[in-house]
Amino acid sequence: MSSASQPIPPPNDRRGSRSSRSSSNAGFPEPMNSSDIAASESSGFVVGGPPGSPSPLALRASTSPHRRKSRGARIPPDFHLLDYVNTPDSNLICLICHCPFDRPVRLACEHYFCRICLDHAWDAQPEGCKTCPTCRHKVDADEEPLPVPKILERMLDELLVRCPNSKLGCPWVEQRSNLENHVMLYCEYALVECPASDCRLPVSQKDCHKGCLHYSVSCDNCHTSLLRKDLEDHQRATCQFRFAPCPHCSAELLRLDLNAHINDVCPKATVQCPGSIVGCKYSAERETVAEHETACPMATMAPFFRDQQARIERNEARFEPLVRKVGILEDGLSNITNMLYPANANDSSFPVTNPLDSNNPDAFPPAPLMPTPDFRLPPASFPPAPHNNDQSHSQPPFDSQIHHLLTLHDSLRDELSRVASALSELEGRTSMMIMNENQRVKEEMLHTNAAINGMRVQLHWLMSATLHQRTSASASSSATRAGGSASASGSGRSSASGTPTTGGATMRGPAVGMPPLRRLSDSIRQDTKL
Amino acid sequence: MALPKRIIKETERLMAEPVKGISAVPHEDNLRYFDVTIDGPGQSPYEGGVFKLELFLPDDYPMTPPKIRFLTKIYHPNIDRLGRICLDVLKSNWSPALQIRTILLSIQALLGAPNPDDPLANDVAQKWKEDEKGAIETARQWTEQYAKP
Repeated sequence: MSSASQPIPPPNDRRGSRSSRSSSNAGFPEPMNSSDIAASESSGFVVGGPPGSPSPLALRASTSPHRRKSRGARIPPDFHLLDYVNTPDSNLICLICHCPFDRPVRLACEHYFCRICLDHAWDAQPEGCKTCPTCRHKVDADEEPLPVPKILERMLDELLVRCPNSKLGCPWVEQRSNLENHVMLYCEYALVECPASDCRLPVSQKDCHKGCLHYSVSCDNCHTSLLRKDLEDHQRATCQFRFAPCPHCSAELLRLDLNAHINDVCPKATVQCPGSIVGCKYSAERETVAEHETACPMATMAPFFRDQQARIERNEARFEPLVRKVGILEDGLSNITNMLYPANANDSSFPVTNPLDSNNPDAFPPAPLMPTPDFRLPPASFPPAPHNNDQSHSQPPFDSQIHHLLTLHDSLRDELSRVASALSELEGRTSMMIMNENQRVKEEMLHTNAAINGMRVQLHWLMSATLHQRTSASASSSATRAGGSASASGSGRSSASGTPTTGGATMRGPAVGMPPLRRLSDSIRQDTKL
Repeated sequence: MALPKRIIKETERLMAEPVKGISAVPHEDNLRYFDVTIDGPGQSPYEGGVFKLELFLPDDYPMTPPKIRFLTKIYHPNIDRLGRICLDVLKSNWSPALQIRTILLSIQALLGAPNPDDPLANDVAQKWKEDEKGAIETARQWTEQYAKP
């Protein structure tokens, strides 16, 4: 695909309008078409020629694309009806339609056909036994048709064709790949529906903007009555009085072109020096003016002046929307101001103080150091800065509303940064405080731990002392007594009361049989954890 | 209905580059209807004769075969008294890749090689099988009688 050579597609809205137009008159083509066919059939009877001359056939062939185009909407070109500039290579011809391939496909037997032609040929064949139209080779419907080599498509794309509307005057001749774009989008000779809602006759795209041209007029020169849309062709080609002499140079030319000739071409017509826009008063026949132009400094400068003028106009045109934009922005800003400080909207002299400032005087620099316009907000209508404020004498009055707004904006920004720094300072202070507190709590915990440890040692000492006494007191049952003091709190209490229950100790003694020290340490460790 | 481009092209080519011994001219009032003449092939009983045929291209040509009929009386086992032709490419073996030119060449070839095993005119085919020389002689006489220009 030679996409590089294709024209840039136009914006979507153009396509959209086209398509909507085509859908709006979907019912239109039928009656038009049938009548057209009748006309062409009758013309086919009339035109005839001796055998050997292709004239009747050529005529009929040439009218067929025209007839297709006579529908209201643009339809894509049929590649089988195209008029090729050169006779195409016979290798590019489809054997079914005898035209250069349109979207060719390949069969396994290396025969090529247009996709549509092959489909039509296969329609006539029973299902399941499709064959190649050329060699009758059986076709595998699952695999075939196959794609064709790219080079074939490119050769076809490069064939030069005429626009299908060439009979209506379209001079377009280009590669076939560009045809669809041209016909669907660009061709000015394509027939579309008449712009008048009650008129159903087709009109060329190029005449569409002129309104409905399907009314009778009479030619000014020969007084023949004809349709308005045919008038120009008539005056250009058929009217017997279509020629007229130029009043200045007496050249014979088309009446239609006479004005253009006098204005732009005629050497004898009187014209002004091109420098007239800068003040040259010279005026003479065109030939003489041409000579004068070489000498006239104003004529030399005229193009530059014209450029300058155009540039100034452009800039002025650009200036206009900018002014409007500034107005809109100002309004928006004043609205924002009113929303932020509604108390200020009606009272122009009331100074609004910063609430943050009044609440935390310590966190910020002292109030007199702050720039004064910060908290004095203007009302919605932006009058000149009021002078009756207690602080306003330190600030010059605003020379314009925008300046005022800018200052206001800057001061608000300063304020915001001050608030931000105050916040961060506060945050630092709080975190420092928390850290100090933490430190203290930690130390206290250490102290408590140490105290607990001391108590544990004392308890241990007491316990071992008690045990020692008991062992010495009753040596016969020493093992059982040690077992009796195994449970931490129970034994502690019993030692404090000083009356151990022998029965309970004897019951536990044989069941446990473990060294008592380990048990004690276990229970102490649990206490420390707490 | 508009005349398909293919028919126009075929006609133009038939006019511009005619096949030797064959002519096909469309009617002026119906470009799908052709007056055809075929010269009898050499070394056949039809040599020297000029046979007239009519050819009509149906609406869905080239997807369906053209309709062809002999107008000149001919003594041939594959052509009946009404001029209808028994030829496979005109019926089941038609292909859209064939064209007027090739079909007329096939008919000319059929004149040169009669096929009595696939007859249309049974009496002629019978005669052809039983007494080929006599049949050929009859064909020659018919050619002399009906197909002389």
